[in-house]
Amino acid sequence: MTSQKKILIVDDEEDILTYLSALLEDNGYDTLLARDGEEARKQVETSLPDLITLDISMPEKSGIKFYRDMKADDQWKKIPVIIVTGISEDFKKFISTRQQVPPPEGYLSKPINPEEILALIKKFTA
Amino acid sequence: MELNYKQFFEVMPAYLTILDRDLRIMEGNQRFRKDFGEFEGRYCYEINRHRAERCEHCPAERTFRDGLRHGIEEQFRNLFGQEVSLIVYTTPIRNEAGEITAVMKMATEITELKLLQNQIREGRERYRQLFEEVPCYITIQDPDLRIIEANRQFREDFGEVLGSKCYQAYMHRSEACVPCAVKQTFQDGQVHQVEEVVTSRDGQQVNVLVYTAPIRDAGGQIKSVMEMSTNITQIRELQSQLASVGLVISSISHGIKGLLTSLDGGSYLVNSGLEKNSRERIKQGWQMVERNVARIKTMVLDLLYYAKDREPNLDWIPAHSVAEEVLGLLRGKAKEYGVDFHWEFDPAAGDVAADAKAIRSLLVNLVENALDACRVDKKKSTHQIRVGLKGYPDFVEYEIYDNGIGMDQETRERAFSLFFSSKAGDGTGLGLFISNKIVQAHGGEIRLESELNKGTRVTVRLPRKGPASRPASSKTS
Repeated sequence: MTSQKKILIVDDEEDILTYLSALLEDNGYDTLLARDGEEARKQVETSLPDLITLDISMPEKSGIKFYRDMKADDQWKKIPVIIVTGISEDFKKFISTRQQVPPPEGYLSKPINPEEILALIKKFTA
Repeated sequence: MELNYKQFFEVMPAYLTILDRDLRIMEGNQRFRKDFGEFEGRYCYEINRHRAERCEHCPAERTFRDGLRHGIEEQFRNLFGQEVSLIVYTTPIRNEAGEITAVMKMATEITELKLLQNQIREGRERYRQLFEEVPCYITIQDPDLRIIEANRQFREDFGEVLGSKCYQAYMHRSEACVPCAVKQTFQDGQVHQVEEVVTSRDGQQVNVLVYTAPIRDAGGQIKSVMEMSTNITQIRELQSQLASVGLVISSISHGIKGLLTSLDGGSYLVNSGLEKNSRERIKQGWQMVERNVARIKTMVLDLLYYAKDREPNLDWIPAHSVAEEVLGLLRGKAKEYGVDFHWEFDPAAGDVAADAKAIRSLLVNLVENALDACRVDKKKSTHQIRVGLKGYPDFVEYEIYDNGIGMDQETRERAFSLFFSSKAGDGTGLGLFISNKIVQAHGGEIRLESELNKGTRVTVRLPRKGPASRPASSKTS
């Protein structure tokens, strides 16, 4: 029996955590949840997920700060990240052209298309 | 020799006459006879002016009296009824004993010159009138930026400022603006355009669109520069209303995307619950749908609230609770910036009728400004922010003090203007503008005291019972 892929879902919206965890679990993934960047960091440390879906605007530690720290860490920088955010499309351009950090593996705007997120997760966890 | 003089007298291209003491014309040259006819035994005022009495200011009489030459500008009417403008000179003719026996009157026609002068005067008058009455501010400045001329509207709104430096009169600054459009025009002779916020003599902020143009002398050298400013305050006010709407739309669009995702989530849980025959999942999904429908309702109400130019949603709120909430939010940021954060709240400040959400935004904005002012100040080793709250019978007063970079007079005066920011790329130019709007909507008063390199104190007074009929205002000092 092959072990299921672990997906860390990071979002400050409880409903979105519930939705994405149900969607991913129904499609054969294990899920871990984090409500801000700090919780996400702890989850990465303890559970080493196979992929992260990451919201950007969150209280305490924002998604972007978490992303920057993670991509600077040799142990974690290979974990694929799909950014899932409601902030403007300009941000996609911004994050994709930053010299200081590598661009994320995927970028999805809310509201999310379930087929699209499942296809991306499948691609980067294969 | 005498014949020569006589010939000279005859052919002179001017009207020459010799008058006796009674002002009778004794002699007249050819040109005079041609244009004024026979003069035998007639008085000069009869012939020249067609009048029966002597003129009030007769230069010939004066010459008879004082023996000196006199000149005057006069109008004669010739034989043909034409009015002729002349410059008249009188000079005494003396006998051997030195007594004045006659006066010679020489009149040179200047009708064409006069017409030309009138045309020039009228032209000048027209330009002057245009300069004075044009509905914008015009000044003419010398290379030292000194105002050497100013039109009526400028004088009315900015005072009698001739001789003052442009930046003193317009901006109340002690140094020239950077960049200065007038200086640029002096340098390159081109028209330049810039937008500014200036302060009228009664303290009103005026948004102006400024154009500068060179004024050259006959040799093509730029001797002065004209600065023409159009008042665009009303346009800016309209833009500010549009910007408020834009700001609200962009801030809620993020929220709407989250709501739609949550609704999708609710719908997914209901559908997958039905497929799996899981009552619990259906219930969870339906609750999610209901919760988000309620959130949409709140958001729409918020949108309407903002769209109505932020009519405050008044409630009795403890004045200290909002301040404490804001401190909780920003304490971490202060620590990150290395700023000492002190607060002093009057425990008896009591309740105030205010919109908690709006006051929270206001205080967050003011404290964030204070933090930014400390962050960019490299001249002091330690920085402090003090947030105070005091209660008075009729109002509560929040005070935010920082010892950050402070503001010069121009920055102070423009601080509440839309799209003005002293934070270079870090500011939107909306923060204090919206803060001011929130205070106004509560019938309150916001006061800004600041000194460059020393610090800033912002005081917000909110009437305890909410907005009444009294006008709200912002003040700077």
